[in-house]
Amino acid sequence: MTGQEGWQSEAPELVRPYVITKGRGLPDDGDLSLITLVTAAAGQPQRPSRLSPEEQSLLDLCSAGYLSVAEIAGHTQFPLGVVRILLASLMEGGHLMTRPPVARARLADKEILEEVLNGLRAKFG
Amino acid sequence: MTEYTGNPLLWVALVALVAAAVLISRQRRAARALRQQVQGLRDHYTELENDYGKSVQAAQERAEDETKTVLKSAMRTLQGLAAEQQLVLSRLQNKYGDSPLLQDLLEIDHTNSQFGRRAQSIAVLCDGWLGGRRDTASVYDVVRSAQGRIRHFRRVDILSQVDFGITSRAVEPVALALAELLDNATSYSSPDTVVEINIRTVPKGICVVVDDAGVGMSDEERARADKLLATERASGVAGLGNPPQFGFAVIGLLCERFGFEVSVDSSSPYGGVRAVVLLPHELLTAMPEKKAPAPAARGTARPVPDAGGPEAAALASSETGDGLPRRRRKRPMAIVPGSASAPRAAGRSDSEQAQVMGAFQRGTRSGRVTETAGPDGADRTSDTPGASSEGHEVS
Repeated sequence: MTGQEGWQSEAPELVRPYVITKGRGLPDDGDLSLITLVTAAAGQPQRPSRLSPEEQSLLDLCSAGYLSVAEIAGHTQFPLGVVRILLASLMEGGHLMTRPPVARARLADKEILEEVLNGLRAKFG
Repeated sequence: MTEYTGNPLLWVALVALVAAAVLISRQRRAARALRQQVQGLRDHYTELENDYGKSVQAAQERAEDETKTVLKSAMRTLQGLAAEQQLVLSRLQNKYGDSPLLQDLLEIDHTNSQFGRRAQSIAVLCDGWLGGRRDTASVYDVVRSAQGRIRHFRRVDILSQVDFGITSRAVEPVALALAELLDNATSYSSPDTVVEINIRTVPKGICVVVDDAGVGMSDEERARADKLLATERASGVAGLGNPPQFGFAVIGLLCERFGFEVSVDSSSPYGGVRAVVLLPHELLTAMPEKKAPAPAARGTARPVPDAGGPEAAALASSETGDGLPRRRRKRPMAIVPGSASAPRAAGRSDSEQAQVMGAFQRGTRSGRVTETAGPDGADRTSDTPGASSEGHEVS
């Protein structure tokens, strides 16, 4: 891991992540999973001025359309959990909305498959 | 007349008179000598007293200096350790960003910051090291940095922002002084109240106003604060009381050394103390371009190389505008080739690996000889080893 040696000489960040999250706790896993899609809430031309620069930039990122939580985290330099906390607080404030990930296709019924197989065997086998 | 001279009584009286006169004059002389002696002794005594005072003071100063030196180097070690730990914590936070562990890491980070600040304060009192070099930062970020260094940072609310930066030299001192003010404000007000921060531009520079809803200061405390902030600088750690009250002593020293002003002589509209930090124009700069909107700047810059895959990223950022090689974060690179090639490489010895690579190279060469070898193909092969060696170096 030679690549990490260069990092150690860096000064620690001035503003620590726990200040950026204002000491809030992690949201529930169900609320914001990695693949939850997030976008800026419609009908909010007036952006509140009380948001921190980090929250502002997250809103900027999300204003273009739906992005997954994982993507948003990739575009910032913060740990994923920190991004999730910030997104959760923005959702609470009504600046963001989420769409739950598309449900996985339900597995076809095993009995139907067996019947089809039997039918095919009967016809061609 | 003769009858008088014949009277022996007269002679006796005369002799007695002469004797008395002699005695008196002798006594006088003795008294004078004694008085002189007393004066001499008194002079000697005051001289001794002065000497004693001087030597005690000198000894005190020497002891103070020695304490300072010891504390200074001890604090320097502690500060270094705290900074090191902060870097380790940053790495851990990135590594375990998606696990519930992050919550605890953030807690530890908070404790570590407080610990670092304590060491820093003592170092300031001993004319010591203030910490590593900082880049220019926005006033808002410096205030937030100060907020992060106290225990009850959740109770601090920053109500306004300004578009100004603080010069790199003043970032740490201002953050430390503000942290001490916020620490006072939160410790001397009830736990359910909020400490408000307002940042305002004034003709002389920028004011950071800290209002708490505590009980305020008594006249005695106010006098002590004024003394430490304005007229008399604290020196060393003596006389800070038990438990020691660092706050105003540290702030006073920082004000003197870095040229900003702090006053606590007004009371806040909520009944507590209003502390005002005045940052003069000398300490202010334009809003830092890179640092303040860091997430946005880096966020938009990074997807571009990401889109083209690792090779494109390597090509795009391997040189700066001046043609110098650019130091890059190599972590993302490490994940991709490392996880893909590591399990396969484990099964082969070095010589086998070399054989395989050699066979591959021979194959590509013979392929290019038989078919028409264009300049495109030559270019691409010269690129590929570069990219793969990049990956190996990292993993």
